[in-house]
Order: sequence, then structure tokens, then C-alpha cells
Amino acid sequence: MKDLKHLYYFEKLLEDANNELVRLAQEEGRKCIATVCENVPEPLLNLPGVFSTRLRAPRTGSMEMGTYYLTSFLCEYTRALLERAIEGGYNFVDAIITPDGCSMLNRCIENMELLKTFKKEHVFFEYMEIPMKADDNGLNLYVLQCKNHILTPLKEKFGIDVSDAALRKAVEEHNRICELIRALGEFRKEDNPRITGYEFHILTMATYVAPKNLLIEKLEETLEEVRNRKPDEKKKYRARVVLVGSEVDDVDVVKLIEESGAYVCADRFCYGSFPGRDPIVLKDDEDILTQICEQYMMRGQCARYMNQEKIQARRSYVNDLAKEYKADGIIYEQMKFCDPWAYERMVGSHVLREDYDYPVLSVDRPYALGISGQLRTRVQAFVESVEIKKIQGGKQNG
Amino acid sequence: MGKEIGSVKLGSLYTNGKVRKCREWRGFKDTFYDYTRWLKIMGILSKFIIKPRNIKAFFRYRWMANYLAAPMMVDRHTQGLRGPQLRIMHTEFDLVMDDVAKLLDKIFKGDRRIGNDKEFSKRVVLVDENEMTAVMMGFPTLLALSRETPAVYVSVLLNQFAACHYIDVAQEYGLPGDVCPMPEAEAGVSIDDDFPVLGACAVQCNTTCDGSLMGNGVISKRLELEDGIPCFQLAAPLRHREDDVQEYAAQEIRNCIAFIEKHTGAKWDWDYYFTCAKRVNESTRHRMEWLEMNKTDYPQVLGSNLALYTETNYMAICGKDQNFVEADRKITALAEEAYKKKNPVVKEVRHRAIVWGVQSHFYMDFLLWLQNCWGILPLTDMLSMVSTKMLSEDDKEQAIYDMAWLTENMIMRNRTHGGYKVLLDELWEFCEEFNADTVILWEHMACKALVGMHGQFEEKAREKGIHLIWVGHDLFDPRVVSRQEIRDQINRYMRTVFREEPVDPSLEVLTDEHSW
Repeated sequence: MKDLKHLYYFEKLLEDANNELVRLAQEEGRKCIATVCENVPEPLLNLPGVFSTRLRAPRTGSMEMGTYYLTSFLCEYTRALLERAIEGGYNFVDAIITPDGCSMLNRCIENMELLKTFKKEHVFFEYMEIPMKADDNGLNLYVLQCKNHILTPLKEKFGIDVSDAALRKAVEEHNRICELIRALGEFRKEDNPRITGYEFHILTMATYVAPKNLLIEKLEETLEEVRNRKPDEKKKYRARVVLVGSEVDDVDVVKLIEESGAYVCADRFCYGSFPGRDPIVLKDDEDILTQICEQYMMRGQCARYMNQEKIQARRSYVNDLAKEYKADGIIYEQMKFCDPWAYERMVGSHVLREDYDYPVLSVDRPYALGISGQLRTRVQAFVESVEIKKIQGGKQNG
Repeated sequence: MGKEIGSVKLGSLYTNGKVRKCREWRGFKDTFYDYTRWLKIMGILSKFIIKPRNIKAFFRYRWMANYLAAPMMVDRHTQGLRGPQLRIMHTEFDLVMDDVAKLLDKIFKGDRRIGNDKEFSKRVVLVDENEMTAVMMGFPTLLALSRETPAVYVSVLLNQFAACHYIDVAQEYGLPGDVCPMPEAEAGVSIDDDFPVLGACAVQCNTTCDGSLMGNGVISKRLELEDGIPCFQLAAPLRHREDDVQEYAAQEIRNCIAFIEKHTGAKWDWDYYFTCAKRVNESTRHRMEWLEMNKTDYPQVLGSNLALYTETNYMAICGKDQNFVEADRKITALAEEAYKKKNPVVKEVRHRAIVWGVQSHFYMDFLLWLQNCWGILPLTDMLSMVSTKMLSEDDKEQAIYDMAWLTENMIMRNRTHGGYKVLLDELWEFCEEFNADTVILWEHMACKALVGMHGQFEEKAREKGIHLIWVGHDLFDPRVVSRQEIRDQINRYMRTVFREEPVDPSLEVLTDEHSW
């Protein structure tokens, strides 16, 4: 297939947390609000005058300082973030709003605060309590926390308009991005898809780390380009997989899987499009903040949701995605040392294999993959097992 | 060998086997007292095992074999103790042993595989091992029983290798080896289908860490989907010091009570609740008095005795058993008398220490070793520094918030969650209050909330001139860090930094690799 015109541009955006569009938005006078978790409702950080960025540590090398403060038992994502913060890589940030999500991310941000790693004088840290069950009580908590730890500080510290009209505008912009990503993702359903999983991952990730309004034009162009794009005559991939699991912001992960012969047809992970790029549907007669929170809570696939109903729903969500995107198998991945996804991967991979009859590859991985021969071999073996199963007509369990 | 503290070379009692060579001679009076208490423990065990259903359970559940080591566990926690300390320890531990025996007896009575008493089972609400049982303080006709406590928690106290099999089971099922071995072992028991099955319903809590929270999902899958026992997940807020989470926490309590009422048919009883609340308050006052004593030159209730007893009394009992209040009174009386007489706890006090972090479960008597080997007094520990807030004894609305507060401030959780201040800043405040020159910092390697402050602990200790001694371990798994490796971390620091010789050199290296 012909290369996408703007792919290189989007790839460049992902090479640095303080990317070109972040700098441009700040030159326009907008404040940059950083976060590290999908449980912070994005539209609230994208009100007029502010924009959000999900922190990453691209091109991570040594993590020695991060490891000193957090030890080698915390996941590499948190260590890489802290390392980058100590190096001054996030000095552009105006505020950070983080949920007390997993313990490791929480400690990572607390260390950033204690070490005074962000240099702007007005920078502030807010920690949110987020629900662990999807119910009315959880929703009330979510709404209150968003008011107290996002809207009020933004209004008081940066004079941001947090009115219903401003929220509605932010949701509209958010939805426009979601529609574009969804439309691009639809092409992954094709038998011989005209967009690769890697390309889609790059485009999706860019929407988490750059001001949304500045991306729309290029995403629209890309969508049009994909619409008219001709796929290669010969199919490149030998199996289709849904990639499920914890945080994946490393551009090499999907690339490696696809190089090993498996097409990533759906992405159910933090930084993926499911459910992060679901549009938010607003009704006119209900409180807007409550509606936003409710949709984040109900659709959330975070492993921290602890009630059995929600736990079971996570597995059936993967099944639904696999069906819709015609997947042959599932890859459950987890960043090493991630407690929530360690358990979710363990049980999820058994359930998807035994109750839903999918071939499942269950792997843990480092934050920055590089050229991981180990993972490549495992994916290649998995692809072969899926192929054999297809040849045998699914008669044998693998 | 004799009556005086420190007169026995305690290391000489160790063999390379499961038990020690012989009992410690403490002079006639103390040895006789200790022997009568040993007989009492044997009596508790005999009374338990005489029931046919308990013998059946002994052969059904793999973890039951660990209970053979119960007398040895009590002996480990009396090493070197004399006079009031010996009596305080026995008052605490004998009651805990009795409570665990009763817990086991009740569990097997209702267990579908053993006693299968259906009417009894309908009165049982299963709770987590790491869960405040405050929400059960208003149900006099119901029983809050924890299956994890006898299967995993107590088992590891009895036999250091007790959890290894279940850890392996969980890892064979696909769980990585880097998660906390406590929820890992509990999940392993569930995967192995080695938990008794009983109860009208269960209440799980988002307990101490992500691992515990996620491990509960494994357990509730079997409970709800296979055993048909409905579960309520009590999701207490993590940032428990914040005002804006308290209403949510209170509503969780209301919802939990409604759930229990629905599934058991029992009704909440405010009179019983306030009776329990008064007991909790009295226990809190006693604990505060012990801690006050420990701030002086003559501490009396300290070390592993304080830790294990507080954990049981505060979390599992939570005012529901008058026997613990009676024990509190007895301990306070013993401690006060000893304090007046300026009774020394050890032969020689060299350092006053705060023990912080999550202790190694397979080596709970390590704190006694610190006292006996190096003269380091463990004045208090992180798990004993729990809520000292007095509960309302008559206001029903406030009572809901009190239960929520207790649940949020469950042991360990009150420090591992709630922001860095409760873990980091308050440690230094305690050092000052207790006049401690040393911090023994348990570094449970899989406790992400704790090790995530590693660098901060080091920097702040240096800044404040406090000796911080790291003691790394893997909580339930002595195969990763053994007891001797734990001791060696202290030995190294004492010799190289303090340049001291041990008070009892026979304890520096022990042959307890194979012991219970």
C-alpha cells in the first residue's frame, strides 16, 4: 500500500511529549493539563483555554533515577515517566490532574510533586478519587471529584470557563475526534484492510497527546486518503487479533505484532480506541457533567472496576470486539509489574480461551519494547497455531 | 540459663529441624507459667480436633496441616520473655489462638463439604482477611467469618512455607511472580478450590493494594458464579483523608448493610452496634495507653505482640467480642504495674526503633529477635498505628461515618493509601514522638504502594539523621528471601554502620531454614 501522506507527521508528534502541536497551543496562550490515566474525563481538560496531554516517555533509555525512587518493582511506565520528569522533560506542563488509579501511577506522580520536577511556578497537582464500581454512589463520587479536582482548580487558577456551554463545546470537539478515529478504525473490519493496525495506533495515540482541535484537519485528510486507498492485492497478514491489556504507548508494540504476521484489528488497551474513542452522547435535559462521568464510568474497561458484573463485562466486551472485527485470536498483554492487569490477563485469557473458544496469547512486556526477539517469537508461534487451527477446521483446541 | 532476662543463649535452642531442641528455662515461676499456657494451647487444639467434622476437614484441606505447628508458633513469640512481658504475650496470643480455633470450628460447621449445617450457613457473612468488620457491628445474629484468615494468613504465621504451594498454583495458572504473594496465595487457594464453601453472602473490600483488590475478583468469580454466594464489593475510598470522599464512603456502608439485610433476612440492630462501638473505644483507649508508655524509657506492650494482637482486635474483632476487652484490661493492668516498677523488657536497650512498612509474615517473631539479638526495641509498628478516633456511642448518623472511617482506615490500608503524607511524613512525626533513633523499614518487595516511596524514605531519613535499615522480603514466600537473609540485613548494618557486637551473639546466625 502507498504510505499515508501524514503518517510521518503523526509519528513525529509521538517522538516527544512536548511536541509541535503542544508548543503551538501554548504559544496561543492555552494551558497544558497533563494526565496519566484514561479515567480522567478528557473533555474536562479540553475546555476553552486549556488542552490535555497524556504523559508518555517516548524514546526511553535509562531509567536509573526513576528506579532509585520507585525501585525496580514498579512498572516501567511509571519509572520512565518519573525519569523523564526529573530530566525536565515535562517542564512545559501547567498542571497535572491524576486519579488515584493504580498505586504505582499514584506514587509516580507523588514523587514528581515531592521532587518538584515541574518548573513552572503556577503548576499544581490534583489527585482524584475515582469509582471502582459502576453504580449510583460511584457516579456521585465521580461527579464531585471532577468538580473539586478539575473544574474548580481550572476556574480558580487559570480563569477557565467551566460553564455548561463550555463543556458542551469541549464534548463536541472530543466527539469530532472520536468520529474520525472510529471511521478510520472501521476499515480494519475489511478482509484485506486498507489501514494497518500500526498506522491506526499512531493516529489514535496522537489524539491523546496533542491538542485535539489542531489535529482535526490532518485526520480528516487522512480519512479521505484511506477511503480512496487501494490495499495490496496479496494479503500481508496470516491472522487477525484483538490486542487487549494495559497501557500501550510504545509505537513498536503493534508494529512488532504485525511484522510477525498478526493484523491488530482492534485495540482494547489504555491509549487504544476502545473505549477511549467512543463519542459522548449528550442529552439536553440532564446535567452535562453527570452525563460525561456516567459514560466514562459505564464504558470503562479499567481492570480496577471490581464488581463481578463489570469484571464479566470486560471479557464479553473483548468477545464482542473480536466478533465485530472478525478476529481469529486474542493477545492479552500486560506491562511487567502491573498488578491490575496481571490478574486481569490471567483470568481473562482463561475465560476467553475456555468460555469463548478463542486462541489466546498471554504475554507480559517491557514499557519500551525495542527489538524484542522474545515477544516476536511468541507472536510468530501464536500465528502459526492459529493457522494450524484454521487448517484443521477448529477441530482441535490449541 | 535462668530467671534473668538475657540469661539464655537463645540461639543454642535451635536445631536444623522443624522444632527447637527444648523449651527455654526461665526460672521456676515463669517456666511453670509458660508450661501451663502451653497446656492451655494443647487443650484448645484437643477440643477442636475431637470433633469428627474437624478431623474430616483436616484431611480435606491441605492448609489444615499447618495447624500442627500452633504450639511452636506461640513458643517462637515468647523467646527471651520474662515476667509481665511473658504474661502480656500469652494473654494476647492465647486469646488469638482460641479465636482462630473457634473460627475454624464455625467455618467447618457451615462448610458444604464438611458439616453442611445449612441453617448455620445462612447466618454467615463471609469477609476478606484484610477487611474491617465494622459493617458487621450491628448484626448480633450473624457471624462474620473469613476463610482467608485460617487458610492463608494464620497458616503462614504457623509454618513459614504454608503459602508456597498456593503461590505456585496461582503462577501455574498464569499469574506473574511479581505480585504481592498474599492475594496471590489467596487466589491460589481459590483456583485450587481449597476454600470451605459456606455463607449466605460475602462482603469483599478494596483492601490494601491493587493486588488484593484484583485477587478478590478471582475469589468472587468462584463464589458468585460457581458457588452461588452473592458478593458485595465494599469500595472504600483510597484518598481517605479527604473530606470530599466521606459521603461516598458512608453511602457504601449504607449499601453494604442493605445488601446483608437482603441476603440474610437479618435486621440492623443499633443497640448492638453501640455496644460494639463502646468496646472499640475501650480497646482504642487501652492501645493509646500502651503507646504512651512506649514513648517513655520503660515500654511494656511492644514488638510482634503489639502488632499481631492489634491486627486481630482492631480489624477482625472490631468490638464484637467482649473477651478481647477483658484481655485489653488485663494487659493494661500488667503493663501499668510493670511500668511503675520500671521493668526492663530486654537485657540491654541500645536503640529505640519504629518499625515501618509491611512485615514479613513468615517471620513475625523477627521483632523479638531484634530485641534479643541486638537490643533494638521495636516501640511500635506501622500496622499498629491505626485509627485512634473515638466512635460515637449514641448518634446513628455519625455511626455510619464512623464505620466508613474504620473501613477506610483498615490496618495497612490507612498507610499504603491516602497519599504520601500518611506513609512518609507521619513516620518522622512518630520517630520524634517515640524518641526513636532508628527506623526498621520492612521493604516488602511486591508492595508497590510502599516501595514507590523508597527514594523518599532514604532522602528524608538522611535529612533527619535517622538510621534507616532496609529489610527486604517477599511477605509470604521465604524462598525469595529467607529468615537468615532477613537477619543478615540487620546484622550487616549493626556491624558496619553502628560498629556494634550483638547482645546475644548466638542469635546472629540461626539454623531455622527448615523450621516451622
